[in-house]
Amino acid sequence: MMKSLLTYLMCLAVVVSFASCDNVLDVEPKGQQLESNYYQTPDQAYAALVAAYNPIGWQTGGPDGTWIPLLGPLNAATAGMNAGGGGPNDIPTIQAWNSYDMSSAVGPQAGYWSRSYAGINRANLFLARIDGVQGLDEATKARYVAEARFLRGYYYFWLVRLFRNVPLYTSPLETSEIYEIEQAPPEDVYAQIDEDFTAAIADLPAAPLPSNEAGRATKGAARAFLAKSLMYEIGDSQDQEKMGRAANLLNQVNTSTAYALLDNYPDIFRADNKFHSESIFEITHTSKQQADWPNFGSGNIQGNVYVQMVGPRGYSGPKYASGYGFNPITSVLVDALQGDPRYGYTIANIDSIASNNSSASYEPSPHQNTGYFIEKYAPLQENRADVITPELNYPNNYIEVRLAETYLLEAEAILRSNGSIARAEFLVDEVRDRVGLGPVTSPVTLEDVYQEMWLELATEGHRWFNLVRTGRAADVLADEGFVEGVHEVLPIPLESLNNSQLEQNNGYD
Amino acid sequence: MINHIIKNLNDMKTKSYTFLVLFIFLFGVNAVWADQSAQYVLNENFVKVQEANKTVSLEKKLEHIETGYNVVFLYESSIVKGKLSSAKELDGTLREKIKKLLEPHGLDYSYIDNRTFVISKLSETKLEIAADTVSGVVTDSETNETLPGVNILVKGTSRGTSTNMDGEYSLPSVEPQDTLRFSYIGYQTQEIAYDGQNEINVALQPRTYAAGEEIVVVGYGTQQRRNVSGSISSVSSEDLDEAPVQRLDDALQGRLSGVRVTSSSGAPGSSSSVRIRGTTSINNSDPLYIVDGVPIENGGIGYLNPSDIESIQVLKDAASAAIYGTRAASGVVLVSTKSGSRSNFEASYSSYYGIQGPEQKLDLLNAREYAVLRNEASVAAGNGVVFSDPQQYGEGTDWQETIFNNSAAVINQNLSFSGGNESSSYYASVGYYDEQGIVASPISHNKKVSFRINSTIDVTEWLTFSENISYTYEKNRGSLATNSEFGGPLSSAINLDPITPVLITNESTINSPPYSNNPVIRNEQGYPYGISQYVGQEMSNPLAYMETQRGNYGYSHNIVGNLSLQVEPIENLLVKTDIGVKPAFYGFESFTPVYYLSSVAQNTGDNSFARENSRNLIWSWDNTINYTTSLDYHNFDFLVGTSTREQSSTTVGGTYQAIPAQNFDNASMNFSVPNEQRIAFGGEAQPYALNSYFGRINYDYDSRYLLTVVLRIDGSSRFGSENQYGTFPAVSVGWVPSSEQFFPDTFVDYLKVRASYGINGNDRSLGDFQYQSTVSGGRNYVFGNSIYTGASPNAPANPSLEWEETTQINAGFDATFLNDFSLTFDYYHKETNGMLLQVEIPSYVGASGNPFGNVASLTNDGVELELGYNKQFEDYGFSVTANGSYNKNEVTDIGENDFLVGSIPLQASAYELTRTTVGQPIGSFYGFETQGIFQTQQEVNSYTNSDGDLIQPNAQPGDFRWKDLNGDGQITSEDRTFIGNPTAPWTFGINLSANWKQFDFKMFGQGVYGNDIFQGLRRLDIASANYTTRALNRWTGPGTSNSYPRLSDTDPNDNFGNPSDFYLSDGSYFRIKTMQFGYTLPVELSNDLGIQQARVYVRAENLATITGYSGFDPEVGGASFGIDRGIYPQARSFQVGVNIKF
Repeated sequence: MMKSLLTYLMCLAVVVSFASCDNVLDVEPKGQQLESNYYQTPDQAYAALVAAYNPIGWQTGGPDGTWIPLLGPLNAATAGMNAGGGGPNDIPTIQAWNSYDMSSAVGPQAGYWSRSYAGINRANLFLARIDGVQGLDEATKARYVAEARFLRGYYYFWLVRLFRNVPLYTSPLETSEIYEIEQAPPEDVYAQIDEDFTAAIADLPAAPLPSNEAGRATKGAARAFLAKSLMYEIGDSQDQEKMGRAANLLNQVNTSTAYALLDNYPDIFRADNKFHSESIFEITHTSKQQADWPNFGSGNIQGNVYVQMVGPRGYSGPKYASGYGFNPITSVLVDALQGDPRYGYTIANIDSIASNNSSASYEPSPHQNTGYFIEKYAPLQENRADVITPELNYPNNYIEVRLAETYLLEAEAILRSNGSIARAEFLVDEVRDRVGLGPVTSPVTLEDVYQEMWLELATEGHRWFNLVRTGRAADVLADEGFVEGVHEVLPIPLESLNNSQLEQNNGYD
Repeated sequence: MINHIIKNLNDMKTKSYTFLVLFIFLFGVNAVWADQSAQYVLNENFVKVQEANKTVSLEKKLEHIETGYNVVFLYESSIVKGKLSSAKELDGTLREKIKKLLEPHGLDYSYIDNRTFVISKLSETKLEIAADTVSGVVTDSETNETLPGVNILVKGTSRGTSTNMDGEYSLPSVEPQDTLRFSYIGYQTQEIAYDGQNEINVALQPRTYAAGEEIVVVGYGTQQRRNVSGSISSVSSEDLDEAPVQRLDDALQGRLSGVRVTSSSGAPGSSSSVRIRGTTSINNSDPLYIVDGVPIENGGIGYLNPSDIESIQVLKDAASAAIYGTRAASGVVLVSTKSGSRSNFEASYSSYYGIQGPEQKLDLLNAREYAVLRNEASVAAGNGVVFSDPQQYGEGTDWQETIFNNSAAVINQNLSFSGGNESSSYYASVGYYDEQGIVASPISHNKKVSFRINSTIDVTEWLTFSENISYTYEKNRGSLATNSEFGGPLSSAINLDPITPVLITNESTINSPPYSNNPVIRNEQGYPYGISQYVGQEMSNPLAYMETQRGNYGYSHNIVGNLSLQVEPIENLLVKTDIGVKPAFYGFESFTPVYYLSSVAQNTGDNSFARENSRNLIWSWDNTINYTTSLDYHNFDFLVGTSTREQSSTTVGGTYQAIPAQNFDNASMNFSVPNEQRIAFGGEAQPYALNSYFGRINYDYDSRYLLTVVLRIDGSSRFGSENQYGTFPAVSVGWVPSSEQFFPDTFVDYLKVRASYGINGNDRSLGDFQYQSTVSGGRNYVFGNSIYTGASPNAPANPSLEWEETTQINAGFDATFLNDFSLTFDYYHKETNGMLLQVEIPSYVGASGNPFGNVASLTNDGVELELGYNKQFEDYGFSVTANGSYNKNEVTDIGENDFLVGSIPLQASAYELTRTTVGQPIGSFYGFETQGIFQTQQEVNSYTNSDGDLIQPNAQPGDFRWKDLNGDGQITSEDRTFIGNPTAPWTFGINLSANWKQFDFKMFGQGVYGNDIFQGLRRLDIASANYTTRALNRWTGPGTSNSYPRLSDTDPNDNFGNPSDFYLSDGSYFRIKTMQFGYTLPVELSNDLGIQQARVYVRAENLATITGYSGFDPEVGGASFGIDRGIYPQARSFQVGVNIKF
């Protein structure tokens, strides 16, 4: 009896164990947040939104940690500036665009590409998960969603301008989709950008924002970017209707009471004068980001090294800190600005400073040095932060869109959509008047507007886009190595071609 | 009389039974015989037994018992013929039944083993001896007891007989040219030529090694060695008793083919790296340890007292290991601990005491030589002379002298009790081990106390309860880096200049900086320890360093236990449930005083006292159902089971700063310090669970044809929902041709050929939750002038992540020949696929990090050989076992990577030292190739490329000529290549033992061949670091050296800065690990002393090493990847010991 009972119990135990131990495998992680159960609280939603902003400030990126201070390669791609640096192999990503010998493997593409897609991924994820967040009031949620859509539009705008043929997706990519996705027609990308910015305009707050929110997206920024996107899509073709829309959007920005041109031109770029009335959208930094060499290059850490990079190499003297000598300014821009009131605020003539000042010494780089350096973002001694690695932690912001640009863009859009020439002249003259230049010769021409854009916005990263957009690049950049039909866009990064459905842009190997 | 039985059998049945009977006697296959009987019983008689309600013939009744109990009766047919018994079922145990059955007929029985019974008349007298008949008695040579059932054959014929229950035999018709062959289970076969004598008495030697009889522990059960068709190597308790080891790892070193054990340090209590059949994975290649059924994964195997080990089995091929499924890819080490005997009580005590010291020191420069070379290097760099009069410094300080202890003590004591009765047995032990390190002894010390109780109780005939519980406390002082160029006593002793004195006794020096203005460490007399003004960085006076670490220790309490309950509801069906637990508690205490060792190594702020306590828990629950049955010659053993396992751990610790204490001894957390000076820390390991189902069929036909089929289905929490369960099948087959009738009577006594194929997994390569996507902060952005924290997912989830899979084919054979030799040979091919690496996903996905994927592959191919010889004579004996293995490791795929960079760079070198790529072994040395030294400027100038430019424009005479491997006319990083292999392809071991009367001798040696060691002893970034005497042969002018370049502080040619073949040495060695002489007291004498047996011995460990390597120790392994940065050498130890049995 005893035997059979025990046997029965044990067999039962064994049988039960066969059936029931499955659930021991369902273990929960400790002290780690999983993507699957994140995005629950308002704090988490805000952190996720901040993460979508984060790539805007990247100066490195890509799988190889490519150095991409946004302006560096773009400036080098124009005739007005060289690559510079310590030698022909110093930051090849910048050198390659300067000499227009980019290939799949060499060039600045990986950095720009991954910066935008990191932002798109985070914005998509945010938009996919925001409905699951508990306790978020409707107004805040609407603003967050608008910001995420603004950011997605912003990143796709960078992509479509630089690469034209890019994968387009608006929800997080499933594992199975990763190697299946193809490049979208550019018009689809522009349509998505349009949709995102349009939606964003509705729910974004108008400028000015409270000081602790400065830097976040506004209605004005969304309008400006949408207008720029429309004008880039139009290019040098004729599309009166779209151009009219662009002019209208820009007009809304330019007539907003939130914005006004600063009286004093150099004040625009001062590191201690951020988020002023002329600034529409800024790439933000502070000296407190604690970037250092070991973590710089890991993508998510926002140091700010471009200021250091454009400083004169081997310089010791007043005003400037010694830099790495990138983007020295060539005679093309120096000559164009000769006699312009903006010359001294745009160009730092280190040669003359060094030769006129006994306390200054200067050992220029032998590579592409001109003696002229960028003044707007120069590493001023006064801006050098009192931190362990000051060269990576300059406090300067970079204004990506400012009122002078939207003035001039509106002028262009008006001229190209048969709008009011008087309004166009007014806009150009406002920009000129601020620096003490007289009005343009009436009637104002497109060429006048383009020339003004170049000089007003010199070294701010718009020149190359404007040349390509308006079909003038092949002429202006011919001596630099620009090949029409190829160099309007960058090559698709090599690592994204491996095993994927992506095709390389025309003319690149 | 037995010959009659055989005759009867021969009459009765076919010829093959003769063979079968012989086979039984030779190899003890009892089950087969029982089946044979069963066949006949079942045919007809069994039915009759059931029908005939009253009486039945005794013969049938015996056959009935044979069937029921799987036993064999041997008897002369005449003594049972015509006798009748009651058909009624007898009750009682088997033996009682037999006795009840036989007694009424005046018969008795004895047994050869517990399955074979010999029936004889109660009053049997001596057999009569015929005229040309040879007769005699066969006895055990050691105990002089007579042996029944010994098989005696006239060699080359089928004529033969067996001894009766008194060990007597009689064989008629023996011719003068005949040779008699005496064979018996467990004894060595003897052959004796007949030369007319009528009486031949034989004393058989027990056989210590015999293929077949040994019981082998396999996963979830045991198997007779002869039925094993996989590849399993064993170490027995006898091997360990004779040559005690400190850790289980040591027990495996050199004793088994295919098992490579490399010590990672000679520090007391350090673990070794154990690799079974090569490095199985680029991730985790540690074998799985199972002790008495409990998997030991956290905290390692160090808790186990080697004296408690009964046997170790290493499951090497996939088929043997497959029953452990997803953790078995790197092999399985099964350990069984001792149990008591069911008959007699035994107490045993063993102890040894030893003195140990280093076997070899480095030859470093003395102060005078150092000053000369420093001057030379400084001048060559364009700087001035450093030491104006080198001769004045003399010998200087021998820093090695300050850290090495030539008389470090080691003590080991063990006491055990074991015993039992018919229904229970127990084994209990207590062990104590205390070892001082030979380097910086005050901070290198290991102490271990262990207890164990194992017991088994047959609660009823069908219910057995057993438990094994052990507790081990280990305390370890080990605050010195054992293979690091970044400080610690070893690297300081190597790199410090010999000019700095150990102690500063000069008053004026004491009263000036840095001694006067810093918290320098002083000796007991108050003299400060010398601080080098030449060699800085992490290097510091080792004696001063020791003072800063004094008292700090780590500890662990390990409890490992399992309880099991086994019921046998019906005959041969075993249902077993086994619960194992391993709670461990461990942590450390350390005090950091205020100190100043050098301008780099100092703590001039607050002192601090830290304590950390951790615990982890593993529990496992295994259930098995096992059924064995036989049909004719077909034997089956079925097993199905489940296994569940969970693991968790937590840590908490804290630091108190600025406590009012000066040293470890008076440090305490009872001191109250402000909150901000109390820092707490802690954490939890991620939970980890396994759930498994498994089954196995062992089948053999007559023990001639063997088949094992295994299937394990394993679920692991480390894998994603799509692949949470994996299936691991295996099959192995064997054939014993020597059991076939056609097998010729040659020198081969026994031969088995085996082959196996199987798949194992490796889930230990992956961390927890890596199949999921986690969220990290730090993706910040600036609004206004403030930083806001952003958070986003890291690498995307990869729910299809699965285990690395290792597929292995094994083929081999086991043989015994010429009576005394045994040989095992194996060939294997092992493929590991789906090794986990991070997979680079396209950046248009926008992910922050790359997920793990199953992408890389590698193979291991090898052969293994184990050879044994054992011969025991009247009063002396001799045995040799030797093993050798060859393993070739090759990476066959590393996904889209061109190569994987070795995780360990050397010091200031710009280049990584090791690299893993397709076509090479894992972690091969990678660097430049030297082609001698430029002797003259002309040689530099003539080393040009096709354009006529200098290939080495920076070179000067005395610099290395680097090989321009890619032929681009310059020396760049592209000119590096694979220059050596840190892992030895050949490993071997040899065991010699001999005894003569009361004396015994044992020697055990072990070695490796074919690997390289990277000697990175000297700090490259400290120009003033001391040199080995090799530097005395440096290049100083044309013709002075073609292998050691000139010295220069700037080293513009990177002679020393480039990793190159200059640093590589042949790492082959052969080491005499153990040599010992023992003396066993004569029985009379020990009996007088009231003890059963006593033995005393002297032993030397690591007596001598034959190697071309010039460092402390050629055994540079484990996590060191063959890079010697000043490894803690193995101790050479001389010991005296005693073993006593009561």
